[in-house]
Amino acid sequence: MTALRTGFQFEMRVLRRSFGELIALVTAPLMTLVFLAVIREGGRDDLAPYAVLAPALIVLWGVALIVSGELIAQDRENESLEAMVATPASFAGVLTGRITAVTLVSLTGFAESWLAAFLVFNVAVPIPHPGLFILIVLITALAMAGTACVMSAVFVLARSARAFQNSLTYPFYVLGGVMVPISLLPGWLEPISRLVFLSWSSDLLRDALSPAPVPDLASRLAVILVLGVAAYVLGLALVRRTVDRLRRTGSLTYA
Amino acid sequence: MPDLLRPVRVLRYSAGNAWADMWVIFSPLTWILGWVSRVLVQVVFFALIGLLLDSDDAVRYLFVGNAVMITAMEATMSVTTTTWERRQGTMPLLVAAPTRLWPVFVGRSVQWLPTGVITASVALFALGPAFGIEWTPAQAVVVLACLAVVAVATYCFALVLSAIVLTAMDLHNVISNVAQAITMLIAGVMVPVSFWPGWVEAIAQALPLTHGLAAIRAVTDARAVGPVAGEVAAGLVLTVGVGALWLLAAAVLLEYLAAAGRRTGSIEFAE
Repeated sequence: MTALRTGFQFEMRVLRRSFGELIALVTAPLMTLVFLAVIREGGRDDLAPYAVLAPALIVLWGVALIVSGELIAQDRENESLEAMVATPASFAGVLTGRITAVTLVSLTGFAESWLAAFLVFNVAVPIPHPGLFILIVLITALAMAGTACVMSAVFVLARSARAFQNSLTYPFYVLGGVMVPISLLPGWLEPISRLVFLSWSSDLLRDALSPAPVPDLASRLAVILVLGVAAYVLGLALVRRTVDRLRRTGSLTYA
Repeated sequence: MPDLLRPVRVLRYSAGNAWADMWVIFSPLTWILGWVSRVLVQVVFFALIGLLLDSDDAVRYLFVGNAVMITAMEATMSVTTTTWERRQGTMPLLVAAPTRLWPVFVGRSVQWLPTGVITASVALFALGPAFGIEWTPAQAVVVLACLAVVAVATYCFALVLSAIVLTAMDLHNVISNVAQAITMLIAGVMVPVSFWPGWVEAIAQALPLTHGLAAIRAVTDARAVGPVAGEVAAGLVLTVGVGALWLLAAAVLLEYLAAAGRRTGSIEFAE
C-alpha cells in the first residue's frame, strides 16, 4: 500500500512539471469543437453526447499510451530503474500507483469536453444518470489502468513495439467505437472490437447519457471489469518478466 | 562578391540531414506498418463520422478533408524536428558559421514533405474509391500537384511556429498539436470554412491548407479537370502566395533569433 501511495504521489509531482506530455488534455477542447462542428453542420445536434464523449475517451487512451506506456522505458533511460528495483518496495505497487495517477489526471478530459461544448457552442449535454455515469467512468478508468500496465511492459520487453506506439491510437479509436458505435461498422469488425474494453465503455457511457434506462447494465459493466482486470494481471506478469529479464541481462539502464 | 548560391548549398546539406533523420526514426517497415497505416486509419476514423450522420456526402467530405490534412499534419511535424537541432547543441555552431540561419532550418525538416504527399496520396487514391471517390488520370495528377503545393506552403507556415518554438522548447508539442487541431477545425477539413463566424473565416484565409484544400475539393467534386481549371489555379496561387508570406516571416524571425541570441548569449550548446 505504501508503494502504491508513494508511486501515486511521485507521479502527481512529475505530471505537474511535464505539461508537454499531457498534450491530449490541451487538444481535447479543440477536438470537442471539431466533433460538435461536424454534427451541427450535418444538422444532427441530437448527437452532441457522442461529440463530447469521444474527445474524453481519446484523452483517456492517448494519455495512457503516451505517458503510462512510457513509465518503465523512461525510468530505464534516466537510469532510475536500477535504484527502484534495488529497493525493498514492490516495483509493481509503485508502477500501479503511478499509472493510477496518470489515469485519474486524464479523466479531466471529461470536464474539458463538457465545458468546451458549453462555452463555445452553448451545448449543455445533460447526464440523466449521474451516479451510473460516474461508476462507468471509474470502471473504465480501472480498465484503462490495467491496459496501460500491459503497454508499459510491452514497450520495454519488445523494443520494436515502441516504433509502433503511435500506431495504437486511431485503430483503437475505431475499434473502441469512441465516436462511431461499432454497430454502424462492418460486421466482421465486431468480434475484434468486443475484445477492446473501450467499445463496451463507449456504448455504455452513451447509453448513460440517454434518459432511457440502461439495458443489461450489470453484465456490460462486468465485461469492462473483466477485460480490465485481465489486462492488469497480464500486465503485472509482463512487468515481472520484464524486470527479471533486465536484471538477468544487466540492462536495467542503457548506460 | 557575395556567394548567392550559398543558401542553396546550405539548404541542400540541411535537407540531407533531414533525410538521414527520417531513416533513424523509421525503417521502411516501421514507416509503412507503423506510420502510414496509423495515418490511414486516422482518415478512416474521421470519415466514418459521416456514417453516424447517415450521409454519403458527409463521408466523402470528411474523407477528402482528412486525407489532405495528413499532408498538412506531416508538414507541421517539422515544428518538433526543428527543436532537435537546438537539443543537439548545434545552434552556437550554426550561428557562428559564415552563413545565414534560415536556410539551415528551411532544409532541416523537409523529410515531412514527400512523406506527407505520399501518405495522403495512398489515402486518396488507394482508399478513396471505397469512400465513393473515383479518379480519372488527369484528376489524380492535378491532385498530386496540389498536395505537393499544400505540403510546401504548410511547411513554410510551420517554419514560423518552429522559430517560435526555438525560444520556448518545452512548448514544441503543445504548439504543433494545437496548430494541427486549429487547422483541422477551421481550414475546411471537417466543415466548410463558411460554417464559422466571419472573424474565424478571416483567420482561416491565412492558412495555406484552406486554399489548397479548396482547390483539391474543386477537382474531386468535378467530373473532369477542365471546367474547374481556373478555380484550381486560383486556389494554388493563393496557397503559394500565403506560403511565401509565411516563409518570409519565418526567415525574418529566425534571423532575429540568431541576432538576439548572439547579443544576449542565450544560444547554448545543449538544452
